Amino acid sequence: MSVAPLSPPRHSTRSMLATAGSLALPLAVVAVLLLGVSTSSNFLTVSNLLNVLTSMSIIGVIVVAMTFVLITGGLADLSVPATVGMGAILTLALQPMLGTVGAFSAGVLAAGGAGLLNGVLVGYARINAIIVTLATGTVILGVAQWVVGGVIVYGADPTSGNLLKGRVGGVPTIVLIFASVVILGHLLLSHTVWGRWSRATGDSLSAATAAAVPVKLVSAGAFVLTGIAGGISGGLLALTLQNARPGIGQGYEFSAITAVVVGGVSILGGQGSVLRAVGGLIFIQLLTNVMTLTGVRTPVQGLALGLLIIAAVALDLAVRKRGGA
Amino acid sequence: MIVPALEMRNIVKTFPGVRALSGVDLMVQRGSIHAVVGENGAGKSTLMKILSGMYQPSSGDILIDGAPVTLASPAVAAHFGIAMVHQELNLAPDLSVAENVFLGRTPRRGPFVDRKALRTGAKDVLGTIGARLNVDALVGGLTVSQQQLVEIAKAYAAGPRIIVLDEPTSSLSEHESTALFDVLRRMRAQGTAVIYISHRLREVLAIADEVTVLRDGALAGARPREGLTSEEMIHLMVGRKVTDLFPKQAATIGEPLLEIEALSDGRRVQDVSLTVRAGEIVGMTGLVGAGRTEVARAIVGLGPRTAGTIRVRGHNVAPRNPAEAQRAGIVYVPEDRKRDGILPTLCVRENITLPILTSLSRLGWVRGGAERAEAQGQSRRLGISPSDPERRVSLLSGGNQQKAVIARWLASRPAVLILDEPTRGVDVGAKAEIHAIIGDLVSQGLGVLMISSELPEVMAVSDRVYVMHEGRIAPPLERHELDERRIMALATGEAVT
Repeated sequence: MSVAPLSPPRHSTRSMLATAGSLALPLAVVAVLLLGVSTSSNFLTVSNLLNVLTSMSIIGVIVVAMTFVLITGGLADLSVPATVGMGAILTLALQPMLGTVGAFSAGVLAAGGAGLLNGVLVGYARINAIIVTLATGTVILGVAQWVVGGVIVYGADPTSGNLLKGRVGGVPTIVLIFASVVILGHLLLSHTVWGRWSRATGDSLSAATAAAVPVKLVSAGAFVLTGIAGGISGGLLALTLQNARPGIGQGYEFSAITAVVVGGVSILGGQGSVLRAVGGLIFIQLLTNVMTLTGVRTPVQGLALGLLIIAAVALDLAVRKRGGA
Repeated sequence: MIVPALEMRNIVKTFPGVRALSGVDLMVQRGSIHAVVGENGAGKSTLMKILSGMYQPSSGDILIDGAPVTLASPAVAAHFGIAMVHQELNLAPDLSVAENVFLGRTPRRGPFVDRKALRTGAKDVLGTIGARLNVDALVGGLTVSQQQLVEIAKAYAAGPRIIVLDEPTSSLSEHESTALFDVLRRMRAQGTAVIYISHRLREVLAIADEVTVLRDGALAGARPREGLTSEEMIHLMVGRKVTDLFPKQAATIGEPLLEIEALSDGRRVQDVSLTVRAGEIVGMTGLVGAGRTEVARAIVGLGPRTAGTIRVRGHNVAPRNPAEAQRAGIVYVPEDRKRDGILPTLCVRENITLPILTSLSRLGWVRGGAERAEAQGQSRRLGISPSDPERRVSLLSGGNQQKAVIARWLASRPAVLILDEPTRGVDVGAKAEIHAIIGDLVSQGLGVLMISSELPEVMAVSDRVYVMHEGRIAPPLERHELDERRIMALATGEAVT
């Protein structure tokens, strides 16, 4: 006996909401641009916009990787501050021995290894990602500090930061690095087998398993990506600032998750794209910039960003519910 | 004349597009055990959902102690003294037996739980139904059968006039079932009307005073236990005429493609052997919980496998996951399409190519053209409608979603296709199309193992049929031996010679 209701799926409501969802972000960016132009004469200047771009680049690398964590249904990687700290500390601490490139690579590798630990615990041992990354974050940071034996590390070779501060065709090098990461991340998600597997795993774990997708590998891989991204981000940050504190990446997990979620990547997994997540990042960075330029105080800024996350998640859940997906 | 405790008259229940019950009567006397039997999908659970207030009948009357009532909700049904014991247990594992028995009705003194009254109350209830359990034990630490007794005590503690037990023995051993029957007999002696849903005919004959048989949503017969035989019950359960809904295509049967020997999963499946040959549709049937799906999942590495050998085209294989099974030539279309089949937010193309994506890519980069061609080819081959492969799969009808899941596996060119309830929840037209597809596939030399609960489907489509009963499999019935009564007898463990 079949008692499945035979009513047709509600195309209209779903596609309307989906359209609203996909247009909301570009419209929001335009709105915040207009707001900036009309409230501050400093907003639409080359130096301000370059400033916004530069400041979003370092966090942006993490946003790209965090997109994979959410898309595979891995919830979030809260150990980001630790991998950023690890990348930063190792890059400067090992610089005298390995040289800038060597030390940077070592930091990225170590952070990637920490990500692998997260990945194995989440993907293979199937422990809740929030708990795992909360715990490993503390451990990773502790190890990084213990290895260098100090609290704050200073750069041994101040010229090493110059390359990052330099410009190619008027664009800061660090922005170019970010742009390449975005392009790589986008291609990985939308054009490769790995990307398809990631979306399938987040869409339905049990169906993906039955469809011969290596779901454990893919779930674990997303955390390796955030680990590597944290290492890159931390290394760039340390070279730019020429000093590294353990708490250097504090708040990066929150900023990255905010950008990804505001960009419309579903916290339930399966849906979203790297470009949308970057769109979310651009929106937040512009909004923060406008708020700063117009003298909105920091606590109020935090309040606004918090509300933004709640609104974005609520919209995502509403769209999912209507779609019956 | 004695007024019956419950009378349901001419109950009709329709769902959009489906008539689940067409005029069913049920009369249950006080102080008696009344069994309701029928095949999967005969309408037993729909009828019981109406009785417990979860569904409203489209038409018909319900009388309790001779007075007409409207059971608008489960709360109203409970108010009229109707208690349900469901197949799935609803207990709080971290609370004690006593706390569970009085869950939601905990005796109180002021704002505090009256622990003394709770314990003595629970002891009383357990004593009345003859269940020997420690009231302070945590429910999570009890065996399934003990938990079942707690569930029954919980229902009984509300002082019901009518208690419904839905397949209460499906997870119990024979010995545990005997203990349960003592409990039911005690409740009968207290004057309770007991409605007992089961497909174990031997048990029904052992315990029931009266038997109501449902078939295809209608009343097939209501008899007193006196003089009733299991043959007669089976006859009432399956007495329908088989219509030629599923035309069988001729195919040449060849070499064995899949040979399973002595497969066990360490849980339900025990010592299962079966063979699927090229060009053959092998049906596998049995009642819900017989272990059919577990066999399929064990074969493709989705479920545990503790013993047994699997051979594909004569070679031993031991797939640990669906990817390895696919490489070995065995693919599986799961039973629950929504949960294990489709990837809802992916499009039709992405759903179809998922398991073979590596072969459609170069160095991990998906070759768009090759992928689109493959998806379009499979989609056309199976007649997926609408034909746009970029459409999100969740927007397709159930039948077309199922075709997309089947298409996914055909792309990997398997030797054997295992289909688990391939036509469940799809409309009649799509059902015929899916049967035609299966026929086509075997004519191309594939072997198909089709798990189905629908006897007419199994009988019309299969070349041979295996019947499972409680984790074990009976020797196959050849096509000319197929007979509904014979299959039902094997499925219910009432083997007739």
